[in-house]
Amino acid sequence: MTHTQKRIIINKVVMSLSTLSAMIGMTFLFWILGVLVINGIEALNWTTFSEVGAPPGYEESGLKHALIGQLYIVGVAAFAGVPLGILAGTYLSEYGQKSRLAEIIRDVSDIMMSAPSIVIGAFVYAIVVTPMGHFSGWAGSIALTIIMLPIILRTTDDMLRLVPATLREAAFALGAPKYKVILQVVYRGAKVGILTGVLLGVARVAGETAPLLFTSFNDNFLNTDMSEPMASLTVTMYNYATSPYEDWQKLGWAAAFILSMFILGLNIIARVFLMKKRGK
Amino acid sequence: MATIVDIQQEKALEVKNFEFTYAGADLPSIKKLNMPIAKNAITALIGPSGCGKTTLLRSFNRIHDLYPGNKYEGEILFNDKNILSSKEDLINLRIKIGMIFQKPTAFPMSIYDNVAYGMRLQGIKNKTELSNRVEKALQDAAIWKEVKDRLKHDANGLSGGQQQRLCIARAIAVEPEVLLFDEPTSALDPISTAGIEELVVELKERVSIIIVTHNMQQAARVSDYTGFMYLGELIELGRTEEMFVSPREKLTEEYITGKFG
Repeated sequence: MTHTQKRIIINKVVMSLSTLSAMIGMTFLFWILGVLVINGIEALNWTTFSEVGAPPGYEESGLKHALIGQLYIVGVAAFAGVPLGILAGTYLSEYGQKSRLAEIIRDVSDIMMSAPSIVIGAFVYAIVVTPMGHFSGWAGSIALTIIMLPIILRTTDDMLRLVPATLREAAFALGAPKYKVILQVVYRGAKVGILTGVLLGVARVAGETAPLLFTSFNDNFLNTDMSEPMASLTVTMYNYATSPYEDWQKLGWAAAFILSMFILGLNIIARVFLMKKRGK
Repeated sequence: MATIVDIQQEKALEVKNFEFTYAGADLPSIKKLNMPIAKNAITALIGPSGCGKTTLLRSFNRIHDLYPGNKYEGEILFNDKNILSSKEDLINLRIKIGMIFQKPTAFPMSIYDNVAYGMRLQGIKNKTELSNRVEKALQDAAIWKEVKDRLKHDANGLSGGQQQRLCIARAIAVEPEVLLFDEPTSALDPISTAGIEELVVELKERVSIIIVTHNMQQAARVSDYTGFMYLGELIELGRTEEMFVSPREKLTEEYITGKFG
């Protein structure tokens, strides 16, 4: 066999193997999506959105309580986590820069990002649920805020640092004070990136179950009081899906479908933003 | 040491025993430099890479202060005041001494907002005044005709040469006394370069200009005075037409004739 023939064969083998691996990955992705869509759409109907949970066997049973609870818990978490994350990221990029403190915060935040979310749940259980004496929506939001924070902080930091230094210098050279340079020039230059980070951060926590299991816990009825235990799509899905009743299991599929579509939607929006940014 | 021609006209800036040391460096990048800058004239700074010409330029608006640890010594006099003084108000200084960078630095906003940016910083809110001054600045920067129908468009949609003229419009809109140009055409094509050079010459009626350039032809074409720097020192400052024909220092001659650099 000549050298050229050998090269061509090796090339074909490597290409086939990597294509095959990619196909296997894709197969699982579409398989999951397919199962979700088939079971989810079958389980979905108007009462899914209009009714709250009911004992097994009842016709009028839905996920309204979990949807609202989810919206409250994630909404409050985003309300706290987004500004905190953006401000902290701004500190790192614009003030701390390469100082020791800034580098330590970056490292700690990277570690936090890979911390198992159930550990964060246990932490909030210890510092919020135990002193309060019961589960609450607040506790769930706090756990999600903690998980969201490092994601938004790091993306903001990275995106702000991508804004060229000369752009900042140009604004300073016109006599702009630092806060105006940051607000009017640096943020503008990085807004698409920051928005993407926020969307990805929210999408990440929206799918969390473990930290909610022992913080916001669950509630089978509609509750909008954040100081009481609160239903969420993820915990409800877990409870219904693991129950022996067929109608509850169906609701579990519906919850899984709604949740996946929400997170998929956020991710697609974030991608579209990023593509637009690159296209510019 | 350095050969410095006598400047008859008024001076815009005067550098006296100036030394500059970057953060963490043991030795100064600019050593005991003395240099007058003529008013309403163009002074070009030339010299091989690393000679300190950009470092000197960036000292005039103290943009070095954005990065901690940089150290100035000596004096730079501007309107009889030492701008290196710790009491100097940097915002006021930078309004009076503007800067154009090597790469165009259009802000991520509309063409109009770019030009209005400096004026808005000064608290000018009156819409008529703003739009009049935006128009005038764009006209003075010779870009009005190209952009007048798309003032609300994103400035990043302009070509490199147009963006550089936009940056000049933005800088002159606040009516500075001095304009610093840091290799303003090194990222541009020859036609845009010619346009910028023409503009720089026109601007000296109103402002004093210091331009750092790697291009000796450019220095010869546009400037009234040329300063040749080498290893952090000013070797020679002369009238441009004299210096390129008969430099007084041997080092200047060698650099101009391409023996090194």
